[in-house]
Amino acid sequence: MNSLKVLCFFVGFQVTCYAASIEFNRDVRPILSDKCYLCHGTDAKAKHIPFRLDREGEAKALLPDGKRPIVEGHPEQSEVIQRITAGKPAMRMPPVYTGMKLSDKEIETIRSWIAQGGKWEKHWAFLPPKRYPIPSVKESAWIRNPIDAFVLSRLEEQNLHPSPEASRETLIRRVTLDLTGLPPTPTEVDAFLNDKSSHAYEKVVDRLLASPRYGERMAFVWLDAARYADTNGYQYDGGRQMWRWRDFVINAFNRNEPFNQFALEQIAGDMLPNATLDQKVATGFNRNHRINTEDGIIPEEYAVEYVVDRVATTSTVFLGLTLGCARCHNHKFDPFTQKEFYQLYSYFDQVPEIGRGIKYGNSPPVIPAPTVEQQKALDELDQQMDVIEKMLRRNDRAIERAQLRWERSLSGNRDQWWAPTRDSLASFTFDGKESVTGERSNVPSVDGRCGRAGSFDGKSFLDTGIQTKLDIDDPFTLSAWIYSRDVPDGSVVSEMLDNSTGKGFGLHVNHGKVHVNLTSVWVDDAIRVESEETLAAGRWYHLTATYDGSKVADHVRLYIDGRPAKTKVLMDTLYRPYRNAGSQFNVPIRIGAGWGPERRFHGLISGVHLYSDVLSTDEIAALADADSLSAMAAKAPTSRTATERNILRWSFLESAAPSQYRDIWAKRNALSEQKEKLERTFPTVMVMQDVPQRRDTHILTRGAYDKPGELVQPGVPAVLPPLPAGAPNNRLGFAEWVIDPSNPLLSRVTLNRFWQMYFGTGIVKSVEDFGSQGEWPSNPELLDWLATEFIAKGWDVKAMQKLIVTSATYRQSSQASPDAMQHDPGNRLLARGPRVRLPAEMIRDQALAMAGLLVEKIGGPSVKPYQPPGLWKEIGMQNTDYDQGHGADLYRRSLYTYWKRTAAPPAMINFDASMREDCVVRATATDTPLQALNLMDDEQFLEAARFVGQRMLKEGGATADSRLRYGFRLAVARYPTEVELAVLRSDLQFHLNYFSDEKKAEQYLHQGESPADSNLNPRDLAAYASTASLLMNLDETITKE
Amino acid sequence: MLDPITEHNLRLTRRHFFGRSATGIGIAALSSLLTSDMNAEESSAIPGFPNFPPTAKRVIYLFQHGAPSQLDLFDYKPGLQRQRGSDLPESIRMGQRLTGMTAFQAKFPTAPSIFKFSQTGKTGTWLSELLPHTAKVVDDLAIVKSVHTEQINHDPAVTFCQTGFQLAGRPSIGSWIAYGLGSENKDLPAFIVMVSQGVGGTQALADRMWNSGFLSTKYAGVKFRAGHDPVLFLSNPSGYDTAARRQFLNDLDKLNELNQVKFQDPEISARIEQYEMAYRMQASVPELTDLSKEPESIFEMYGTDARKPGSYAANCILARRLAERGVRFIQLFHRGWDQHNNLPKEISGQCQETDQPTAALIQDLKQRGLLKDTLVIWGGEFGRTVYSQGTLTESNYGRDHHPRCFTVWMAGGGIKAGQTYGETDDYSYNVVKDPVDIHDLHATILRCLGVDHTKLTYKYQGRRFRLTDVSGHIVHQLLQA
Repeated sequence: MNSLKVLCFFVGFQVTCYAASIEFNRDVRPILSDKCYLCHGTDAKAKHIPFRLDREGEAKALLPDGKRPIVEGHPEQSEVIQRITAGKPAMRMPPVYTGMKLSDKEIETIRSWIAQGGKWEKHWAFLPPKRYPIPSVKESAWIRNPIDAFVLSRLEEQNLHPSPEASRETLIRRVTLDLTGLPPTPTEVDAFLNDKSSHAYEKVVDRLLASPRYGERMAFVWLDAARYADTNGYQYDGGRQMWRWRDFVINAFNRNEPFNQFALEQIAGDMLPNATLDQKVATGFNRNHRINTEDGIIPEEYAVEYVVDRVATTSTVFLGLTLGCARCHNHKFDPFTQKEFYQLYSYFDQVPEIGRGIKYGNSPPVIPAPTVEQQKALDELDQQMDVIEKMLRRNDRAIERAQLRWERSLSGNRDQWWAPTRDSLASFTFDGKESVTGERSNVPSVDGRCGRAGSFDGKSFLDTGIQTKLDIDDPFTLSAWIYSRDVPDGSVVSEMLDNSTGKGFGLHVNHGKVHVNLTSVWVDDAIRVESEETLAAGRWYHLTATYDGSKVADHVRLYIDGRPAKTKVLMDTLYRPYRNAGSQFNVPIRIGAGWGPERRFHGLISGVHLYSDVLSTDEIAALADADSLSAMAAKAPTSRTATERNILRWSFLESAAPSQYRDIWAKRNALSEQKEKLERTFPTVMVMQDVPQRRDTHILTRGAYDKPGELVQPGVPAVLPPLPAGAPNNRLGFAEWVIDPSNPLLSRVTLNRFWQMYFGTGIVKSVEDFGSQGEWPSNPELLDWLATEFIAKGWDVKAMQKLIVTSATYRQSSQASPDAMQHDPGNRLLARGPRVRLPAEMIRDQALAMAGLLVEKIGGPSVKPYQPPGLWKEIGMQNTDYDQGHGADLYRRSLYTYWKRTAAPPAMINFDASMREDCVVRATATDTPLQALNLMDDEQFLEAARFVGQRMLKEGGATADSRLRYGFRLAVARYPTEVELAVLRSDLQFHLNYFSDEKKAEQYLHQGESPADSNLNPRDLAAYASTASLLMNLDETITKE
Repeated sequence: MLDPITEHNLRLTRRHFFGRSATGIGIAALSSLLTSDMNAEESSAIPGFPNFPPTAKRVIYLFQHGAPSQLDLFDYKPGLQRQRGSDLPESIRMGQRLTGMTAFQAKFPTAPSIFKFSQTGKTGTWLSELLPHTAKVVDDLAIVKSVHTEQINHDPAVTFCQTGFQLAGRPSIGSWIAYGLGSENKDLPAFIVMVSQGVGGTQALADRMWNSGFLSTKYAGVKFRAGHDPVLFLSNPSGYDTAARRQFLNDLDKLNELNQVKFQDPEISARIEQYEMAYRMQASVPELTDLSKEPESIFEMYGTDARKPGSYAANCILARRLAERGVRFIQLFHRGWDQHNNLPKEISGQCQETDQPTAALIQDLKQRGLLKDTLVIWGGEFGRTVYSQGTLTESNYGRDHHPRCFTVWMAGGGIKAGQTYGETDDYSYNVVKDPVDIHDLHATILRCLGVDHTKLTYKYQGRRFRLTDVSGHIVHQLLQA
């Protein structure tokens, strides 16, 4: 064994040679974890395994049978060695049935480690990152910043040398794609080539980091991790609106929000003191998961899935942990128990949601999230409103005087009752004047509460023939006076099918309890709210119900006699519109009916009003005041109630005041209407929110929603540091814990993902798993240095990007010598620069940029560029297909492309974009024939090629060669070599000959909606477009070199 | 099909790369490339696979999407006629969960099938009158009446059937098989999917159902569509013919090869190969999907629908053509089986569209000698309830989702034909003998392909995932000895 001076083995695919000294974390734990922990791990007890190998104490303890698994320094006495080398198959570990085998090298590693003393270490990722001293290296002239020292030190250990710096063209293309997701223009390349200053490269980097494109680039990666999409997923896969969250992310990266603050807000922005709109919007991160809206699901089942998704996503993205594995049982490999999983779960299961989402649109909790422009418009209206209110106040005494004269004139007038007219849908006063076009049964008009009333006998009702056409997204106010000699019972006013399904909405009384109903399908798709108070017989009541269009029962308000009434929620599952999937729903407003003949009202109904908005409490109080205007006017001003004062003032300003005041008042009302209209256009966003009263969390036995077990309190895993002192034990406290500098994971995991963006592979290749099954870092000292540097720099994201891209490591040429390729095919040691295929979005965005078609605009609703027809319809639920956009919508960056989860944009999926069904952080790049077809034949790329061809003709000079050079530079930034140019020349010539057939040229140019320059010869244009298409299909073009 | 120069160049490139690998890069580097996301050799299986001599080289999975009623097709329950209209006994339901669509129903009236059953084939297997053509091939089938699942809603249930897990994110069965066994045809993808619309209640599908999850994108199912472009972006743009595309690719290859010399990156060779495969697909796919040369007798066999591109019948012919060309996993999805209401009418329509072509496919494969090494599977994502959803009348009823038992049949590829396996209770509500869950079904399918389902794994998030998750038992009785 001593002859083993140097131990060479493979870690993953990395060829690494270590000196004979074995490190537990680097060398031994990965073997134990992968081959032993499945049984001898966290779950050992449940499996009746006598000892664990994931804890030092147990691994070295005396067993009941007198053996010790590991005897320090004595492999021959260690039971572990006995068993892994046992000759008898029945004795040999791991057992055959596991399908696991230890290689000779692995056995040797374990043996050497025990022989060397068997020193144990806590799993590296759970220890705080160490600030290693910057290593000294031989080729110190190569070093640009400490990253290089760490990289070079590893290279020198293995007698390797870094590669020379990449050419300037390669470098500016690489860094421009990396920092902005778009290629450099030839002008930018020229500027860099001509900048002889020593800081030329740094200037480029600073320019790119300051570009708003940087935020878009960073956001795309975050969107993948956050499983962002424009639809709900699952069966119906209806639309949702989360782009305000997406735009928040772009802006946060662009204003370089410190990453700890960003993380805090993503997890718990809503719980920060005086949370801003942005901070609330940020929490959309944990609402981006799929939401099931299928009929007939058991909502509780999916409510659990959403929480599990939040825990899994949050732990992958911020902690690099696969905690989702501990949902059903203790984690097999890492020291996390199932109980700890549910303790974390408990931070995320406090959201006021039901497991079934709203079928089309956002599911509660939701907030309106005006854009900056909308907020500005709103502020302006508010200012105008202020001016008007001031004017009114300034004129208060004059108005008062005029109003007094008017009040005196009122005495003796016919009784009139005031009601708000704004947003009025219909009013019924039973004085025979309202137009009733529908079928009307015999409802006698009698003296009522405010004027006349309809007298209903339990059979009769009024079919008004009017349809409001409101649906579940629309707010309303319903109000009426009622009187019954018995305990009131029956429908008061409704727009509802007159049968027992009760589809629609209405205000009802059920044996004295007031009900507000919104029903799509009883019993699993409805809101029902009931008053606590029971109405008495023999008196008038004024009832008002308001609903804000939120699909949440909690937002239904009930008023009895103008005062808010206490209510109980009986049903809170509304999720489908009445007119679901195009179904017809044409029902009139009925008074005294709706919901079937057995629910006809018996008694008097008076003063019915319907509004298309939620009236204010003052307005509702006014509706509930039974006195007529003249009766109020007759009272001494001092003995009037506030409501009566309001009514008189509003009524006066509305119709009787001198014209200058009436004008001001009319303007005020118009403004308020404008405001309301504006507010209705505000996009909404799903956000996190906690219920006021903490819910209990139980362990779910085997992860099943219907098998609650032990009650647990929220908490963080024991193997990691505790919550920071003073942090509340809720989601906010959890977020503070995540970003606390004592957390060993956040900075490492984040930096590692940044690293992956630049080099294609993380320092820890398993970017999603820093647990014991994760891969050993290719350069642990570098990772730790970067992690500590990130914290030391105040979590400055741009500074870290700059550090990486200005390193000599990053600036190396990616040309591999045969030796380098042999030694390190995956480039884990970084003896050369990265050479990585571009991600999906960059491939499309680059094509648009090359073509000069790209429309740059940050944010806004998602757009629908070209897509072959039929893709949605073929597999979707509705008969609706993708509704392709036009104009600018065709040319926005891919981050704004509408993402339907069940039928994602093909050009994205073909090039390995995540499906956005769940959290994906690992970057992958494959080669498939579908990619080739996509680049060669997709309308989007063909149109782009046509425009590149057009640019070659118009901007590329007068000769074929100069045009070809120009096109080549548009694609890959560099000039073609003579050999390359020769190939292009012959390709162009071929196409010129080919398209001398004019018909072919005409047909070929017929791609995309943007017209070609009609001054160009179709044959030339088609030929150049074809050669441009060739350029766009080059491996080099879709690769970062 | 290639011109000689390109052919030569390609060979050079390949030799260049593999020559290197033999002498230069070395086995470690090569295997690393194979385990990484960049696989140079598209068609290769994982070393060591198949684990056993396979009895099936390929699979045709006829997925009946929306969940066909076992009660009206296969699971004959003559005793139910006496129970007509009576409430489902609690002794049968045993408190098992129902979907939100019927959980609130006041009554659960027993609805016996209104369709006649008769004994068919030499085996005397009971089949519904809705399946007269299936009756002709019934002796070739192994009918499993005891399949069950935990999933009660479409999306999770189909996801479970396709990936062995109810939530999104895992590879589909076809992707696992493509990953494990590779392709037998260099001109076509290893996993091909076709979707057709039925006349009945339609449910949504999702691209995820044939996605590769955490496996490389290249193992994802490729959807063939009816019409101009059977594969997305397959056709050259109008005005651009095959000769032009060939020249384009020659020039592209030349430029890519120049870069390959410079960068030594095997990824570039891989890309060249993919462009060549794309080119071959441009020829092979239209040839494949063009049914015009099929003889009249074939259309008679599969039924008149077979002339309608995109129909289930046309897709069945395509499935046979794909099988002939060695495509590893062929999956049809026929929608329209979700019959909550008006089941008698809708299921009749569905059967009219599917019964004949399904039986024809079996016969056609058989007459070409393909059935013996082609595993054919027919089935949906769950079954349907014995009680009526909504009102039960003399001639009408509906059935809700029922995960506790449903019928799947298998044929060919090493399956022991002419048997019925598993039994349900008198109400076709619970399995009473030989239960088969989805993982068992998957384990059995893999076994036919010579794959040990516990060995086909992929390490992701620190865990070795497999199609059968942590369970799955091969149903040996379904296999030929």
